[in-house]
Amino acid sequence: MAWKPLNEMQVLSQRRPRLEAPLKVSGQAKYTYDLQLDGLLYGALLTCPYPAALVLRINESKVRRLPGVRAVLTDAHPTGTARYAGEYLAAVAAISPQIALDALELFEVEYEVRPFVVDLDAAMEEGAPRVFAERGNITDSETDGSGDVEAGFAAAEVIVEAEFRTQVQTHSSLETHGSVAVWEGDLLTIYDSTQAVNGVREGVAQTLELPADQVRVICQHMGGGFGSKLWAGRYTAIAARLAKAAGAPVKLMLSRRDEHLSTGNRPSSLQKLRLGAKRDGTLVAFSATTWGSAGIAGGAGVALPYVYTGLPAWKHTHADVYTNAGEARPFRAPGSPQGCFSMEQLMDEMAEKLGIDPLEFRLRHDANPVRQHEWRLGAERIGWSKRQPSGSGKGPLKRGLGLGASLWQVGGGGSRAEIKVFADGAVELRIGTQDIGTGTRTIVAAIAAEELGLPIGAIRPLIGDSDYPYSGGSGGSTTAPSVAPAVQNTAEKARQQVAELAAPHLGVAPEQVRFAGGRVHGTGKSLSWREVCGLLGAQVLSASGQWVEGLSSSGVAGCQFAEVEVDVDTGRVQVLRVVAVADCGLILDRLTTESQINGGVIQGLSYALFEERFMDPATGTMVNPEFENYKIAGAFETPQIEVLLFDEAERGVIGVGEPPTIPTAAAIANAVYNAIGVRLRQLPMTPDRVLQALYG
Amino acid sequence: MNDFEYLEPTRLEDLPGLLGKRWGQSAVLAGGTDLLDQLKERLIQPERVVNLKRIEVLRGIKDTGTGLEIGALTTIAQLEKLAQYPVLAQAASSIATPQLRNMGTLGGNLCQRPRCWYFRGRQYPCLKKGGHKCYAVEGLNKYNAILNGGPSFIVHPSDAAPALCALGASLEIYGPGGRREVPIESFFQLPDENLRRENLLQPDEVLTRVRVPALSPGTRSTYLKFREKQSLDFALSSVAAVLVMDGKKVESARLVLGGVAPIPYRVPRAEAELEGKALSAASIAKAAEVAVEGAQPLGGNDFKVPLTRNLMRRALETLAA
Amino acid sequence: MADDPNPGISRRGFLKGVGGGLLGSAALGEGLIGAQVAAAAGPEAIRGLQTIQLSINGAARPVLVEPRTTLLAALRDQLQLTGAKEVCDRGQCGACTVLVDGEAVLACMILALDARGHEIITVEGLAQGEQLSPVQQAFVEHDALMCGFCTPGLVMASTALLRHNPSPTAEEIRLGVSGNLCRCGTYPKVFAAVEDAARRMTGGG
Repeated sequence: MAWKPLNEMQVLSQRRPRLEAPLKVSGQAKYTYDLQLDGLLYGALLTCPYPAALVLRINESKVRRLPGVRAVLTDAHPTGTARYAGEYLAAVAAISPQIALDALELFEVEYEVRPFVVDLDAAMEEGAPRVFAERGNITDSETDGSGDVEAGFAAAEVIVEAEFRTQVQTHSSLETHGSVAVWEGDLLTIYDSTQAVNGVREGVAQTLELPADQVRVICQHMGGGFGSKLWAGRYTAIAARLAKAAGAPVKLMLSRRDEHLSTGNRPSSLQKLRLGAKRDGTLVAFSATTWGSAGIAGGAGVALPYVYTGLPAWKHTHADVYTNAGEARPFRAPGSPQGCFSMEQLMDEMAEKLGIDPLEFRLRHDANPVRQHEWRLGAERIGWSKRQPSGSGKGPLKRGLGLGASLWQVGGGGSRAEIKVFADGAVELRIGTQDIGTGTRTIVAAIAAEELGLPIGAIRPLIGDSDYPYSGGSGGSTTAPSVAPAVQNTAEKARQQVAELAAPHLGVAPEQVRFAGGRVHGTGKSLSWREVCGLLGAQVLSASGQWVEGLSSSGVAGCQFAEVEVDVDTGRVQVLRVVAVADCGLILDRLTTESQINGGVIQGLSYALFEERFMDPATGTMVNPEFENYKIAGAFETPQIEVLLFDEAERGVIGVGEPPTIPTAAAIANAVYNAIGVRLRQLPMTPDRVLQALYG
Repeated sequence: MNDFEYLEPTRLEDLPGLLGKRWGQSAVLAGGTDLLDQLKERLIQPERVVNLKRIEVLRGIKDTGTGLEIGALTTIAQLEKLAQYPVLAQAASSIATPQLRNMGTLGGNLCQRPRCWYFRGRQYPCLKKGGHKCYAVEGLNKYNAILNGGPSFIVHPSDAAPALCALGASLEIYGPGGRREVPIESFFQLPDENLRRENLLQPDEVLTRVRVPALSPGTRSTYLKFREKQSLDFALSSVAAVLVMDGKKVESARLVLGGVAPIPYRVPRAEAELEGKALSAASIAKAAEVAVEGAQPLGGNDFKVPLTRNLMRRALETLAA
Repeated sequence: MADDPNPGISRRGFLKGVGGGLLGSAALGEGLIGAQVAAAAGPEAIRGLQTIQLSINGAARPVLVEPRTTLLAALRDQLQLTGAKEVCDRGQCGACTVLVDGEAVLACMILALDARGHEIITVEGLAQGEQLSPVQQAFVEHDALMCGFCTPGLVMASTALLRHNPSPTAEEIRLGVSGNLCRCGTYPKVFAAVEDAARRMTGGG
């Protein structure tokens, strides 16, 4: 089982626009938010305004009497104990979105407000209000490591240690979470803005106690997820229940406010790191104590010592800290940007103390052979040799260069696909995966086209439907390495069947039949694809396949270099250029892969410089659940981005969704230090923090 | 939004009667870029919304020979074209985004309510909404006032306001008693004078036009705004500077700060450092220094002090070049 | 929803309402139910649901609206013109950008009643049949989109930019799309697409 050699590929690994692009640029692509059905009702959620409260009573009598309200439910909360402002308490379905919002005003709710804590440090204090009555706010810590750190530090000649902090970042997908629920008898169809049609189906079936085959989930186009849409949301079952009660389809899309509060985030971190070395630059010991807050959930880990896995002795102890805030959800490379930010800065600090160039220091300590190439490629492109001593620039606008490494280990598996070939030459490919903006629809069609020797337009890719052959959720950068082998396997089987069909007419054995240029070739004779398919008569050719070994693998490296300009009068950090070097095995499409990397860099930049969830300590609420004060990088913040793709076709398909967002903050932070000679150890590096660091 | 009624009067004379004597009864719709945010958050739930845009006398820019008369419905995009008043054109260009500049009006920009998140958030019963405290004082006050704040610590979010202050503009107001004119500096009111609103308009009054005097020969002006994002964001601090030069000496100066106080904050003590002198590094530094004298940061916005000082210095350096 | 009560209202009738006319603009845009603006006796209040006519992509379209219905809601929920998206609903992200009288504006911050008498162009109005506009075509070719949710707004902002400034500099392109948020981070390719579209539209090489 192997891919065709790279230089023989006609359809794959080119620069191919995505297939649904014409629909998206013309407004024809229908997202869950856009769906209109006869008799559609609009749902809205009543949420808890308090960060901690017992919900004693919900009186919905006035809601029911409001003209236009068709269904109400008051048991949206599983337990009646709300632990963050934004938890869903009740829901309503009405004939217009405005009436649904009017209805929310009419609920009468009795709360017993409880003590709360929203700040990480405050939550860790002795006597802090407990998020969960039965336990303290700090989870049991977990320790990982090897070797003898005490001995290591004792033998160290140079030690650097520092404390780092990173903020809570919300996914802020432009299409909010939400579903449309439609009942036909006992059959439930859910249109959901999701990264996992099958995951949602399983989740909804379980919650509503339905057999899974009575639930169908559809998502043709969705407006971003970044990890927050990997399973069924509470609002989905709520929409289904409202629809059942009202006898009409219900569309329940979250408001932007509820999106910020209740659909997940990247947790915060507090990290105390220590690194020991010999004067000759040998690293001898590393220790880290970290905490993270994922709100009312766990899972706020930090990836340390990140790519520097060759340390003779290291120890990392981590605990989660509960706060009365929305729970974290996986957000593009969970734990990695946080760990990379601190580790890469600590490495730079050590390098400086030892008098070694930061790049040289990485080349010395980075065991990854691919990244050794990537460091050099990136350094050459950014002009690393022109890097000046830190803080040495003249004038208020100071420039600097910095770097950071990425690493991602996840592979793929478990997908199935089906191809049907019709007598008129049409080819349908069905696979229950979803395109979350990464170009999945396009690559699956490209794989089938490549194998069958057809142009990509000859394939009709059908995705985004849980009725299609199973595929997992699109998270963890697993999609390409999961679906690509499955589609390739299926396409090979389809090809074999067509070859068997054509062979007698070409006067050759089936193994000698070749497919190229839209034609089916014997050794001298050839037929058009159409002509061969015509031989099917009334039959439909069907091939089923699944993921197989040998076409994908796991583990990508990557690194980034950033050039920044810091205005020391205002504290503004402007990123001028980012050079992003990335490998992902066999690159299925170069155009869309570049876009992924651009996107990862910009998200990483936005995380480094702008985004921050602000929690008001007095009220325990998020003060910026919008896009005015929750600031996302825009056109003017976009640097010049140069993407260097590192081909490794022999490794098969590897996902690349997450790695490009990991090292950007680290590279920018190191560049800021190079520019101004002062280190920013807290994210985001907003002007107030830069000015604070400069002026004290 | 609540279920309001909607009117499109065509005559200015009908307005006071339509608007009524109580705040909250009616709301005025011009560009809608502030009003609709307030309506959607249900910060206000007026019985009626009165669209001003069919009142033709509120439109147009007229050169009177002694300056300009700018109708209150003039859009921010139209203000960007007033190249003869660089401080105003630059302020206009710095406002919001291209789409919002096409929609927003001068009147709306001057009369807009604060952006403070405690004010804009329905769940906070803050002083400006008739509540019991200013949440910014002990809360998250990164974007709040460092000068002349108290009891409310909002900053005035308008960019046109400091620019027009620096130009010595006056505002024409129409109400039940007819027209009256006030200098722009009297229009804006500090919280200790008017806690609930930011200017002296009564519920049944509207801003009709802004008069900007012609510039003396030798006038240089600039608007320098600092914000985190280079689009959409309001000022963390801004400087409007208008200098009338007599050769190399500053004959008169008008320096106004934005984004740091509940009103556009004119700084006569800084102006005094420049007047009658040449623009030198020393006089500029001194003016910048005294501009932030008396600042009382709240704990989260201390950075605004060096920031404002540096912006003032930079703005003056720009004019010295 | 009522049938169109005034099938005879022409596009020309709407253009008359733009800018200048006082009485005409108010009267021409009305449906039958409840919304007559009498010239002499001061304006009458419009309340409750009524059908009004909006000029969308060159055609008069009836929509059933209340005073509080936004133009965005009318487009999306009444006319199934779902290209303009609801993302922030507060005028902060640009995803609902449409053209009104040739200017890029935010449909979520405009009341539908306020849009009467103006010419509205949505993203659905750009293509000529199957033929995408040069801006749309350039977005496709440069992969200036990923999830696509911000794309109609960006296409509209870019279209408005090029209509006003057919040969923008790189800085002017950034400015032109500075009111549009893209979470997937397509900006670099958006800039390239707009630059390319400008070249094609001005006949450059």
